[in-house]
Amino acid sequence: MKKFFFKSGLYVILILLTLEILVRVTHLSKDNPTRFVDEFNVEKWEPNQKGHSVTGNRLQNFSEFNINNSGYNSYREFVPSIDKVELALVGDSFIQGFHQNYYNSIGKKIEDRLEGIEVYEYGYAGYDLADQLHLIHAYKETFDKIDHVVIGLKFDDDLIRKEYKLVQDRMHLESPFYKKIRSIKLLVYTQNIGVLDPLWKLAGKLSSIGKKNKVLLKRTETKNDIKEKYITYIENFKSLIKKYGFDKNRFTFLLDTNVTPQIFLNYLKDNNFKYIDTYVALNSSKKPTTLIYDMHWNNHGRDIIADIIINYYKLL
Amino acid sequence: MVFNSLEFFIFLFIVFILYWFLFKKSVKKQNILLLIASYVFYGWWDWRFLSLIILSTTVDYFVGIMIDSNNKSSKRKLWLWCSVAFNVGLLGFFKYYNFFVDSWIDMFSLFGYNMGSTWTLKVILPVGISFYTFQTMSYSFDIYYKKLKPTKDYLSFAAFVSFFPQLVAGPIERATNLLSQIITKRTFSYNQSVSGLKLILWGLFKKVVIADALAPIVNDIFANYSDYSASTLIMGVTLFSFQIYGDFSGYSDIAIGTAKLFGIELMSNFKFPYFSRNIAEFWRRWHISLSTWFRYYIYIPLGGSHHSKWISLKNITIVFLVSGFWHGANWTYIFWGALHALAFIPVFLIGKNKIYKDSIVGENRLFPSIVEVFKIIKVFSLVTFSWIFFRSESIMDAFNFIYKIITDFSFETYLHPKGYRMIDYYVLLIVFVLYEYIIRKDERTPFKFKSKFTRFVIYTLIIFTMLLFYDSSIDRSFIYFQF
Repeated sequence: MKKFFFKSGLYVILILLTLEILVRVTHLSKDNPTRFVDEFNVEKWEPNQKGHSVTGNRLQNFSEFNINNSGYNSYREFVPSIDKVELALVGDSFIQGFHQNYYNSIGKKIEDRLEGIEVYEYGYAGYDLADQLHLIHAYKETFDKIDHVVIGLKFDDDLIRKEYKLVQDRMHLESPFYKKIRSIKLLVYTQNIGVLDPLWKLAGKLSSIGKKNKVLLKRTETKNDIKEKYITYIENFKSLIKKYGFDKNRFTFLLDTNVTPQIFLNYLKDNNFKYIDTYVALNSSKKPTTLIYDMHWNNHGRDIIADIIINYYKLL
Repeated sequence: MVFNSLEFFIFLFIVFILYWFLFKKSVKKQNILLLIASYVFYGWWDWRFLSLIILSTTVDYFVGIMIDSNNKSSKRKLWLWCSVAFNVGLLGFFKYYNFFVDSWIDMFSLFGYNMGSTWTLKVILPVGISFYTFQTMSYSFDIYYKKLKPTKDYLSFAAFVSFFPQLVAGPIERATNLLSQIITKRTFSYNQSVSGLKLILWGLFKKVVIADALAPIVNDIFANYSDYSASTLIMGVTLFSFQIYGDFSGYSDIAIGTAKLFGIELMSNFKFPYFSRNIAEFWRRWHISLSTWFRYYIYIPLGGSHHSKWISLKNITIVFLVSGFWHGANWTYIFWGALHALAFIPVFLIGKNKIYKDSIVGENRLFPSIVEVFKIIKVFSLVTFSWIFFRSESIMDAFNFIYKIITDFSFETYLHPKGYRMIDYYVLLIVFVLYEYIIRKDERTPFKFKSKFTRFVIYTLIIFTMLLFYDSSIDRSFIYFQF
């Protein structure tokens, strides 16, 4: 019996070590760039990091990222001046673009098609409007030199907060413990493909034993709930605009009118906020515009978004 | 609780420790532990169905005693019929009731009578009912045929009926093999346990890598067959051949391996059936425990092949039809059984049904001969064709599927529904077939290599491939659970 357990344990350890080497050699696991909070209390990536991002199993989507001096994924540095023409894209993971090679981003596509323009992509996964407006406000000097700013906005996700506060949950991922865990590539890989999900579920179940059994029923939203939510979100929007400022001449929202409530669209129109709609162009495409395994734009989708922004820009 | 889940491995570890550390000195205690573990394992799905197992166990336990205690043939037969009526009745109600009602209504509607389907019931099919009812019936049959003495130990008998490694999808064990092991003292064997772990690993590979990886492709093609070209449909059903083999033989390997960890040897259920050189050999290698069950308890009692050719043909046809119907309450399964009967009968008539009884493909050679390769391809094509009926939702779907292949033959490139490269799957299957060919001599030792290093490399590659083809979004239950 002792021999059985000893040998089984030895095999498990040796196999795990070999798997770690195999995962590293075949690049199956993604690199996790380090986050940090700068002197303006803005959360971003630590400058000058390179690596690759992997989505899905068997390198289904494999791309390179390049974090520049400003802490964002881009092939270029962000050095605006009053002599040049610049366009900034501010947004979440869709603008951050870890699903694409950094040299094939929306910004690069715009630059390739629109001569004499520099595009700065201030994208960071998880940014909402509070993050975005706080960033613009904190880096006012920089953004004042940029000719036009396009801000990504998803009504349902981005207006939950009425003021900016650092998201501590995300920053906890930079603790020494998590960093150590992330250095084990086999663990990161198995986590990403869902092998460890049952383990977390089981741990959750075990930890809830003995606690009061709260029955969490997902209630269907009533019309009143939805109305209240809309009102709250619009109030949050107003609060954010008031707190961090908004240059209506230079700033434009990028949104999907199909998932944005009419009441908010009316509010934007009535108050002279400009927006670019992505819905019509994406929806009329005959080819798929998103990746198969998640909702981020694929190369064709990014082409369309770049064209929409170019067309809008030309009209300005 | 399914074999390919975290809960199962935690459960297995706990039961293993208790079995060999706490209860190793007493067979009775070990059997009580096995019984409780088996009921927990089964109750994990739905504890209410435990009552059916307990009922079936109790009925056959007493029927066995009653058969043995009676010397009069008519009384023995009567008690045997009690067991058959009870178990078949259980199956009939839970599995076939709605099928019979619907078929009855359909038949009347052919003659213009329109009957409302108000008699059908919302019955949930208890997991593994077809397996454990057949296992308990075999006990009564064996006592009736005087091949076995009934046990007076109810707990051991209950542990035999519900033995968790093979409870929900077989192998369907005969009491002469399993019960005799359950009532005798088991001692821990290092070699047996290691061999068990190896079989579990190989079974998991077949399930996770072969069956689960192919499932989204097969599901997509069969669900949307009218949208695909003939080449895609042929590919779909071919992949299903591998999916169902990986799924069911993978389950059997895990079951046999798990039983080994408890010092119990289960019968083999699959012996590389896709390397068969005729359909008779295929049925000697595919779902062996069910085939032997039908041979012992239906084919031979009906007269087997000891009477005229016509009676033999009738018996063969009955066995294949019943075998098809055993799989599910749908005409597709009956048709599948009928197709196999049609394929088997010519082989039987020319007397070649036993020619490959004791040999394997490429015997004493590295490679199979050209003739053998052609024979294997022929049998595989035939079996694959029959899977169209097995896998289709309805008999009409099956015929439409075939009609599309015949009348609309064209080639197209198939794209994986989740965006993966299809070439990965083709390479995987080629490597899998080659590996199965290498190990074809013994289905119970999938890693029979002398070099420890070679074995270690293979274990690592198998686990690595399992990770590569793991898909958290798919339903990971086993196909045969529904039967």
